[in-house]
Amino acid sequence: MITLKSVTKSYELNKKDIVTAVEDINLSFKKGEIIVLKGASGSGKSTILSLIAALSKPTSGEVVVDGKKISKLSDDFATLYRRENIGFIFQKYNLIPNLSVADNIIAPLVPINLDEDEVQKKLTTVMDMFDISHKQDVKVRNLSGGEQQRVAIARANVNNPKIIIADEPTANLDEKLSLRFIEILRELQKLGKTIVIATHDPLFFDLDLVDREIEVHNGKVVL
Amino acid sequence: MILSPEVLTIFILNMIFASFAIIALILSIQIVLKWDMNATTSRQYTLEKQSYLAATIIKYIFAIKVPLFLFFIFTLDKVSAVLTGAMCGAGVVDATDYGNYLFILKVINLYIFAYWIVLHKEDMRHEDQPYTKKKFLFFIVAFFFFSAELIIEGIMFASIDLDEMVSCCGTIYSSSSTSYISKIFAIDSTILLSTFYGIFLLMSLVFVLRRKYLFSIMNILFLIISIITLISFFGTYIYELPSHHCPFCFLQSDYYYVGYLIYALLFIGTFYGLVTGFIEINEKDRERNYKISIIFNSLYVILLSLYPIVFYVKNGVWL
Repeated sequence: MITLKSVTKSYELNKKDIVTAVEDINLSFKKGEIIVLKGASGSGKSTILSLIAALSKPTSGEVVVDGKKISKLSDDFATLYRRENIGFIFQKYNLIPNLSVADNIIAPLVPINLDEDEVQKKLTTVMDMFDISHKQDVKVRNLSGGEQQRVAIARANVNNPKIIIADEPTANLDEKLSLRFIEILRELQKLGKTIVIATHDPLFFDLDLVDREIEVHNGKVVL
Repeated sequence: MILSPEVLTIFILNMIFASFAIIALILSIQIVLKWDMNATTSRQYTLEKQSYLAATIIKYIFAIKVPLFLFFIFTLDKVSAVLTGAMCGAGVVDATDYGNYLFILKVINLYIFAYWIVLHKEDMRHEDQPYTKKKFLFFIVAFFFFSAELIIEGIMFASIDLDEMVSCCGTIYSSSSTSYISKIFAIDSTILLSTFYGIFLLMSLVFVLRRKYLFSIMNILFLIISIITLISFFGTYIYELPSHHCPFCFLQSDYYYVGYLIYALLFIGTFYGLVTGFIEINEKDRERNYKISIIFNSLYVILLSLYPIVFYVKNGVWL
């Protein structure tokens, strides 16, 4: 489903200073797999996620998702690809604090122009799924960390994406909430989602639901 | 040489245009030579980024060129106030050997840039960007037209002699003029009007039949005959003067700036007509272009036809 072929990504800070975030990466993920990318900060995990999500383009090589070369897409098509295929869960949730839970969750649906009934249906489904319905009118800034994360996960799933990208999803959570997040992952796994998690949280290591752990070190996959 | 604030503004903008256009030209040459959409090399990804930069520069040049064209006409009118003999922009255009060429080149360049924008839009509509090489090759050609315009514009304003008396539009656009324009006035009005309305009717028929290439050709013919009839026949009814044929005076406030509307209708209508045959686009967009073209061209014909009709109703005679 997701293939990275000889992918290198460098950031040119100036003419003399070029940082290579990932180098000659070859990876392949199957549909429905849960993959954990592990490694220290700055190892290149987040760069791999951003390449899969078409948030950035490689310097060389290609990223193919469902047969589509997403690394070759123009900005407009990359936006469409993200909208239809990717759900994001960020370390800091990236919610809009002054909006209600419901408004935050339906934010990804705004550009799609769905009718109100359909939006409501999708909203109810994900709020029930992630047990946040009782807080739907509460402003996000008034929620606890765990609740905020459930809102973020609900938002990532509201458009029923095929791929969930999670960047350090438990970095701001205590152990109890992190375990709750893992339970949510089990639910997402049952829905057949492909989930790619970048983390250095040991809770994810040797976890039964994780199909593969891939270690990234200095921009390279450790075999 | 004339250096009014308006002319200085044009010079400064031209220098900025030229600098950015040169950057776009260098990038365009690299893209035309090395572009390979299937490649996943570092060079190709760099070219893809550069293509965004080049396209942005070209889009902004065009976005500024349209109002700048109107500003150029405004400048001609302003400059005419300090040229002895000139009554409007026509006198300034005729004051040097370059004015007419510059004016024609400016109109051609507007069409060229508008065509580039359509090509670019169509290119970006496809995931595989099929027109990228073509559009940047087209820009390389357009660059030389664009450079010629900037150079001729500089030379024109630089060679205007403020001490020399120039002709007014009444002299330039008259049957007694020695210029090639006078040949237009030798054509019989009946023949001219028959050709004008005939081409419009044929174009409408081609519109109904949806023949794209023929529709483009008809639009070229319509553009030419429209300008000729505007100067030779319809202009006299706009001015309500049988001997006044100037294509500039009706851009002034005395005529409620109607010239801007007339030219906008004609240029938009014929441009959309031209692109129907010159670019492969999806049926939905082609259909939209057909409709925009025929609506604007029809409005042009209706607006101009109203002038002699209203004049006849008011006065009971033709000019």
